[in-house]
Amino acid sequence: MMPVSPFRIFFQTGAWMVTAFLVLPLLVVIPVSLTDTSYIGLPKEHLSLQHYANYFASPDWLKATWTSIWIGTIVATCATVLGTSFAIGCWFLSDRASAIARWVLITPILVPPVVQSLGFYRFWVKLGLIDTSTGVILAHTLLALPYVSISVFAALANLDRNIPRAARSLGASVRQTVMAVIVPAARPGMLTGFVFAFIVSFDEIVGVLFITVRRVTTLPKQIWEGIQDNIDPTIASVATLLVILTLIVTAIGALRRS
Amino acid sequence: MPRLGEKTQYWLLVLPALAIMIAFYIVPVLGIWQISVTEPASGFGNFAKAAQSNAVKTSFVLTFRVAAVTTVGCVLLGYIVAYAISNYAGRLTPLMLALVILPFWVSVLIRSFSWIVLLGRSGLVNDSLRGAGLIDSPLRLMHNEFGVLVAMIHVMLPFAILPMLTNMRGIPDAYVKAARGLGASEWTAFRQVYFPQTLPGVMSGALLVFVLSLGFYVTPALLGGGRVLMISEYITYQIQEFLAWGLGSALSVILLIATALVLLIAARFVNLRNALLERK
Amino acid sequence: MTETTDFEAKRDIAEIAVERYKQGRLTRRGFIAAMGALGILPALNSKVSAQAKEIVVVNWGGTAKDVLQEVMCDTYTAETGIPVVVDGSGPSAGKIRAMVESGAVVWDLCDSGAGSAIILEQQGMSQPIDYSIVDKSKVLEGTAYTNGVGNYVYSYVLATNPKMLGGNVPQSWEDVWNVKDFPGMRTFRKSVRGQLESATMAQGVAPEDVYEVLGTEDGIAAAIAKFRELRDNIIVWGSGSDSQNLFLQEEVAIGNIWSTRAHLLKDQMDEGAFQVSFNGGVIAPGIWVVPKDNPAGSEEVMKFIAHAQDPALQVKWLEMIGSGPINPEAAALVPAELAPWNPSSPENLATQILYNDEWYAKNQVSAEEMYIDALIN
Repeated sequence: MMPVSPFRIFFQTGAWMVTAFLVLPLLVVIPVSLTDTSYIGLPKEHLSLQHYANYFASPDWLKATWTSIWIGTIVATCATVLGTSFAIGCWFLSDRASAIARWVLITPILVPPVVQSLGFYRFWVKLGLIDTSTGVILAHTLLALPYVSISVFAALANLDRNIPRAARSLGASVRQTVMAVIVPAARPGMLTGFVFAFIVSFDEIVGVLFITVRRVTTLPKQIWEGIQDNIDPTIASVATLLVILTLIVTAIGALRRS
Repeated sequence: MPRLGEKTQYWLLVLPALAIMIAFYIVPVLGIWQISVTEPASGFGNFAKAAQSNAVKTSFVLTFRVAAVTTVGCVLLGYIVAYAISNYAGRLTPLMLALVILPFWVSVLIRSFSWIVLLGRSGLVNDSLRGAGLIDSPLRLMHNEFGVLVAMIHVMLPFAILPMLTNMRGIPDAYVKAARGLGASEWTAFRQVYFPQTLPGVMSGALLVFVLSLGFYVTPALLGGGRVLMISEYITYQIQEFLAWGLGSALSVILLIATALVLLIAARFVNLRNALLERK
Repeated sequence: MTETTDFEAKRDIAEIAVERYKQGRLTRRGFIAAMGALGILPALNSKVSAQAKEIVVVNWGGTAKDVLQEVMCDTYTAETGIPVVVDGSGPSAGKIRAMVESGAVVWDLCDSGAGSAIILEQQGMSQPIDYSIVDKSKVLEGTAYTNGVGNYVYSYVLATNPKMLGGNVPQSWEDVWNVKDFPGMRTFRKSVRGQLESATMAQGVAPEDVYEVLGTEDGIAAAIAKFRELRDNIIVWGSGSDSQNLFLQEEVAIGNIWSTRAHLLKDQMDEGAFQVSFNGGVIAPGIWVVPKDNPAGSEEVMKFIAHAQDPALQVKWLEMIGSGPINPEAAALVPAELAPWNPSSPENLATQILYNDEWYAKNQVSAEEMYIDALIN
């Protein structure tokens, strides 16, 4: 075996240190959520589940969680349908006009959140969508569309253009070709897009701060107001639940892949 | 039913998403431009006001500085990780990859909250340092630019790592092997042969981080203690406190133009198509 | 149009209207108009007017929400049978405008400030106060605006944590600017309100001369320069709860904060870890603002405002949360042990200055600019 060079040691230990920097801060919310104090800090005398109890007993927190879940699901569905159709159309066209269309569709990634939220606000006022779940769903769908279209397009990148051509020449309509040939090939991209879209909606905060006032409260807004109002450890318990959920989903994903 | 042309049918697939994007996104964002020259009075008064204001200038300088430092930090740290993942395949490599992507799925809000818990005056870092007897009085880690930078680098790092990783995975190891075979040291081979090939990845990562950092709102607002007032927070402040929509919109327009300029300049060094449109 | 509409269609429209109204997408006025147009109002009338009487009062949350509910609202309900609920989500000028513009106003009465009240009035987002119902003589002089009326007073005060400072507590604004003898972080508001005054006094200006000095450009520049000088020791608070958290989490030992938050902190902090001085404070009124097109209608809200002017209730309010009575009659009813915490007690009034609306109307916008520049540059 080759002796391990300093070069390699630098990159390998460095990489693990950076990984630790990425992951460990996410875990600090766990001990804090178990604190027996009423303020943010490590447990003093014993571990306590009171802040979890607080979360599950609070209609405000539960309602906000539920709102985020159902809005996220609708957003992910709408964005996946629209984005997939869009990406498939562009894939077939593959001309200059469709390339421009693809650039138009990813603008929400590039425009600063505060700027687009101002735009939403003024427009939603005109449409009467301020403080409605419809307004939030529409805004989030727009923000999620780029991710769906990018991931579906990536999935189609390896598809042989001769296959749909063959299907067409055998007399299949565009509709049949899309359903029978393209959609199955796009499926992994659609799935990734759906998950991305859900997360975009589930985590979105700046837009919600602008276009909702009181009737619609999503989980991020509840957390935001919690941090601004009085930082109590309930936020840490919510954060812990979300981090653990993410860990589990990541682990399942990793296991399924290996 | 008359048969539609092949192309028309493909456009029908494209149209719904494109139409709602234009009607409900592009139009509202362009509406900001209109507000900036009509409220409170017609003309370029808001832009003149913005140009004269020291606070606006300072905030823009601050915004670019924070974005630049964040970008450099993310590229340096991200490079190390991307290099290790793509060059030293081992049993633990998939784990590292999963851990690197993990923070992506956790909301920025929660990650910022974690940093508040860590960096506060009586936060975990200060408490442990004091407990270990390393410091007498707590360090100021938060409510300043340092705290904002640490948290921003944390949030943006995955955006830097992923493009670099994609790029490095596509680099055949034959060149480095050849260089090594010809007697180059590991370091020389890296510097002269490997590193130049990774520049496209580095550039896309840097661009992505820089552009996202320019418009960042949540982390600076929560960790900046009001003194790291980046332009997004400044806009929000003008609008929420003073209902100064005209000035807020004018600043938004300037921020949009600045972002567009960055992209235009970057287009000379980065293949934007690969960096943005065809991301994996 | 009603002539040609058959009964089925009418019922359908009515159902949609009821649904929308429930979801809040139709204003009460719009709802009644729709029902009237359909000719089915009488049947539904009793139900609507019963609902119409609920009043939603908005303040800034935290303990203040529960106290307002208990002291002012529940007592009103007991008297009149009209339910009053408090919403603590913070009626910033931006949110009030958002709500009015959205056409679906759900707030009836907002706990706003003088500055916001004036901006909202100028932009046509609020309603005039009916001084035939609300008694002008029961509020501090100068707090009865066209579209807003005083509801309590609070002060910008010097708050300190003696424990963190090792007992060496700054006594004046001059001391606050003395970093050598009083090290550590200070907190000031993310706005010049109540802050420039303290920076001016820190230069040795007598309280009664503060606004005169600030009336000149040099005076403003000098105050701003004081903040520039101190800025490495400043953390800025945005909301009242921000300032509270900064003290609770021991991020700061010294600050210029609201007396109402100080009142809460004195109970939350450890014994001997919190102290307040009204010396050189700036006393300002909280202002009731009624958003345009509020659901309960103007008259109902005016009656509630009048109810909240009761001096006994105002003293109770002070006891529980530190809001100083706006009604001059209340001072005599304040128990002796509470007087030191009352921003409007004669003793505290003597050492403070009154927030000067005129100065703010004239200078605030440009001063805010300079202030932000000084803090971040």
